[in-house]
Amino acid sequence: MRLVTVRLQSQATLAQAIRRLGLTEEEVDSGYGLVLIDPGQDLYGLRVAEEAARRIDPAAGGGPYSDPRIEPYGPPD
Amino acid sequence: MEGSVPPEPWWCTMRVLIQLRPSPDVVAAVADPDVTATTADVADGLPGVVLDPSFTPVAVPRPVPAAAGGDPLSLNQSLTFSLSADDASVMVRGEISDDELSTRVTLLPTLRNDVVGVFADPVIESNLTCGGDAPVGDWHDVERLLHVAELHAEGLDGSGVALAVLDTGINAAHVARHLGRDLLLDKDRSWNPDGVTGRPGEFEVNHGTMCAFDTLIAAPRATLIDIPVLLSQRPGGSALDGLLSDAVAAFAHLRTVLEAQPAETRSLVISNSWGSFSPRWDFPVGHPGNYSDNPAHPFNLIVASLEQAGADVLFAAGNCGRDCRDGRCAYPDRPIAGANSHPGVLSIGGVDTAGHRVGYSSQGPGRLALRKPDICSYTHFSGSKAFGAGEPDSGTSAACPVAAGLVAAIRTRWPVSALSPAQLRTLLRRTADDRSDIGFDYDYGYGVTDTLGVLASLRRRATRVA
Repeated sequence: MRLVTVRLQSQATLAQAIRRLGLTEEEVDSGYGLVLIDPGQDLYGLRVAEEAARRIDPAAGGGPYSDPRIEPYGPPD
Repeated sequence: MEGSVPPEPWWCTMRVLIQLRPSPDVVAAVADPDVTATTADVADGLPGVVLDPSFTPVAVPRPVPAAAGGDPLSLNQSLTFSLSADDASVMVRGEISDDELSTRVTLLPTLRNDVVGVFADPVIESNLTCGGDAPVGDWHDVERLLHVAELHAEGLDGSGVALAVLDTGINAAHVARHLGRDLLLDKDRSWNPDGVTGRPGEFEVNHGTMCAFDTLIAAPRATLIDIPVLLSQRPGGSALDGLLSDAVAAFAHLRTVLEAQPAETRSLVISNSWGSFSPRWDFPVGHPGNYSDNPAHPFNLIVASLEQAGADVLFAAGNCGRDCRDGRCAYPDRPIAGANSHPGVLSIGGVDTAGHRVGYSSQGPGRLALRKPDICSYTHFSGSKAFGAGEPDSGTSAACPVAAGLVAAIRTRWPVSALSPAQLRTLLRRTADDRSDIGFDYDYGYGVTDTLGVLASLRRRATRVA
């Protein structure tokens, strides 16, 4: 899965994001859902299949962005 | 300015040793133990150098080949050392501004023919605490160093303040048992990433339990919010790591927590003792999808937007200090990366209870903002016993929640409406106990948190507001 962004109106839904990005329901991580990143910019994030991320029109969405592993900072090895 | 990467500050300096060859009578005076020569006697007015007048000049003997006909430039032979006035040189100490260091070092010997050389004068510290070392003091020492009694005397104990711990989940029973008192944990405002099934406050004892314990040292009445963002359920993941996208979702949840509070009493402290150890998991620097160096990455954006909405966001600086870095550290340099180096967060380095930087505490500059870490707090003490009876609460992982507890204590009577997150960060930096010669440095940031300084400043602020 890849992390991508999309600009939608406030109170947007995952279905609206799927339509805007031209994807199918199977290509998005519905468990993750649609996450509001910056309300000031009406910017949302979602996780989509790698192939789908490559297909997204740059005019419709941003990314893909890296989604690195994160780990606890301790105890030091 | 908050929200952008600041330029290198002009007052960042490098400590240097300057070797001079003054006139023989001056050398003789410096070498004579019965005479006290000063820096001004030896080297007044070196251009671009702030000389340290407290440093007594030292005579440096000249190596001389022991055998007749020896190479006068080689140190790889039998040598004798001459302190005669015609042979010896003199060393003084000073500082050169970082932004003109290379120019000054090159030009000084050409401008002043008595300058023989300019050398780095690095901070030397003995026996730095490293991973695997025994605890240095215990959490009651941290309580004392944080002046918790003084905080509580002013009503600053975290009452009514929400404190989110983004980690591996909290075991509330363990925390309460080792603190010797009850704790407040809000199950309704806690949140699990997709696929994580445990219940708030009932996770296995691990890293997140240590962090929760450490937040409550300064803020025992804070209300914990349990966000087990590091309990990934993804295929191929280990038991104790997660994905940054889970943190994006967690921060989105925390925005709803923050915005549900009345504006006049709003406060939310977010403690993050985690990060990304390796550029291997990231797009390269310069790629538009990169995380480590890219303020436009979605996580860096959501951190900025939550801070703007009123959250105090703290991140551990990391355990990639040059003296004894964690074996997982894979950045070749500048390990304080991504949100851990965000200009809108407090990046927390670690000191032990003796006040010395622990050797694993990551040093700046940061990747998003240069002046990181911001401040240091206490770590490597016996506290939660989350990793066993003799094991310390360690890493900048412990320093971050200790600092978060101090922030939560302050918020008890200073909500965001009275003191913005940016103002609070400035307050903590400005009052920090400076551990370098002059101001900010990349080891300690602005210094170690100083509760008494904070309290004095808040009292002055309260008087002004009244």
